[in-house]
Amino acid sequence: MRSIVFSKRTVKEILRDPLSYIFCLGFPIVMLIIMTIVDQSIPKEAGMEIFHINKLAPGIALFGLSFIMLFTCLQVSKDRSTAFILRLYASPMKSGDFIAGYTLPVLLLTVLQAMITFLTSVVIGNFVDYQFELINILVCILVLIPSALVFISFGIFFGTLLNDKAAPGICSIIITASSMLGGIWMDVDTIGGAFARFCHVLPFYQGVRSARLALEGSFGEMAKPALITFVYGIVIYIFAVFVLKRKMQQDIK
Amino acid sequence: MKYAIEVNNLRKEFGLKRVVKDISFCVEEKTLFSLLGVNGAGKTTTIRMLTGLSRPTKGDATILGYNITTDLDAVKKVSNLSPQDTAIAPNLTVRENLEFMAGIYNMDKEKIKKRTNEMIQLFSLQEVEKSKAKTLSGGWQRKLSIAMALITEPKILYLDEPTLGLDVLARKDLWRIIERLKKEVTIILTTHYMEEAQQLSDSIAVMVAGEIKALGTLEDLKQLTGKDNLEDAFIEIAEGGM
Repeated sequence: MRSIVFSKRTVKEILRDPLSYIFCLGFPIVMLIIMTIVDQSIPKEAGMEIFHINKLAPGIALFGLSFIMLFTCLQVSKDRSTAFILRLYASPMKSGDFIAGYTLPVLLLTVLQAMITFLTSVVIGNFVDYQFELINILVCILVLIPSALVFISFGIFFGTLLNDKAAPGICSIIITASSMLGGIWMDVDTIGGAFARFCHVLPFYQGVRSARLALEGSFGEMAKPALITFVYGIVIYIFAVFVLKRKMQQDIK
Repeated sequence: MKYAIEVNNLRKEFGLKRVVKDISFCVEEKTLFSLLGVNGAGKTTTIRMLTGLSRPTKGDATILGYNITTDLDAVKKVSNLSPQDTAIAPNLTVRENLEFMAGIYNMDKEKIKKRTNEMIQLFSLQEVEKSKAKTLSGGWQRKLSIAMALITEPKILYLDEPTLGLDVLARKDLWRIIERLKKEVTIILTTHYMEEAQQLSDSIAVMVAGEIKALGTLEDLKQLTGKDNLEDAFIEIAEGGM
């Protein structure tokens, strides 16, 4: 009950910040449109497929999740930097209520965000003669959930450790790194070598790959990268929860 | 005589520094007890220990019979505080802030609505009830912060410097509300304003460097120091003149 009350409040706090719409919805949609225009300008002979709408949509969907990390991080750090948190600590709320209250609403927002991204992609697909399969979109959204958990965990982790001045800087680094190393804007496999191997180890690449394979309908091939991302999501989330709980205990020493 | 709060040799150390030094005091039910002291005297740390925001290094205290270390969950249910800094959710409206607080104390929907309306009435928040908390002036925010503490029907209410930074009208307004609350709730007040303590308190403790140097009614303190007002009595005690 308390976690639901706290979740509702988290949703309101995030949704009432106009920047949430600009970054979490506006920016991914604008990037979808711009990169589709770029894609149309690239000659077919170049053989560059990364900006085709079927490859771009899952990448941008994951890119959008990284902004959710920023807003989770800001929410946690803002709460922690004000006397509001004292009021909550003095209430009967338990650490589990805090954790659920930060995670559940944001997870819901990531699903909504992915749905809007794919809806926009379907519209764009009509203009570039690409038809999406509904079932593939649904599986893709499902496969993006572990990636969402990775980003939410980073948000909780950095929000716990950093103040609201430092948090955006660190999040910007992760947003940039995840999009580059995840292969959203460039084909890391074409680059190959140590760089590609390094990218393969990270959850961002595996998250983008599993989402792209899901959208293609290659569900068998998708299983491995999806599982890797899932394990990353669980492990990083457990770590973030541990850090948050520990910090809360330190706060009331 | 029934005590709402009993504090026994409560101590708090941060590393080698002892900020609260084995203090003891009792607070009668439905009275207002003021903790006075200069900055760093240990007032806020004492309140933090009593509300479960800080663990005592030694000693204990009971709140309506519940021990602050062993029955903390029960303590949290019967008490609430308005912290020194305004503690509100900035993007929620005044009404939503109140409903949120009532919600995390597990009140049912009907009761949440009833208590929210009561608080809006009591603190005259009608004209700002739909405004986001962050857009309110300091005075309104402070009122909301106290209303958020009171909506949960605490038996013990901690007000940590509730009128700090308010203009004289807003302060007087809050005093009127606190006067009314005294009849129903036990209040622990910390303040730097002697006039405030003088007007509102049933009993007063003066803390100096983590110790309670004087404890009693206003008349007791005046008699103890031979001064005719609280400010002079406080200065006498705080400067170690007795």
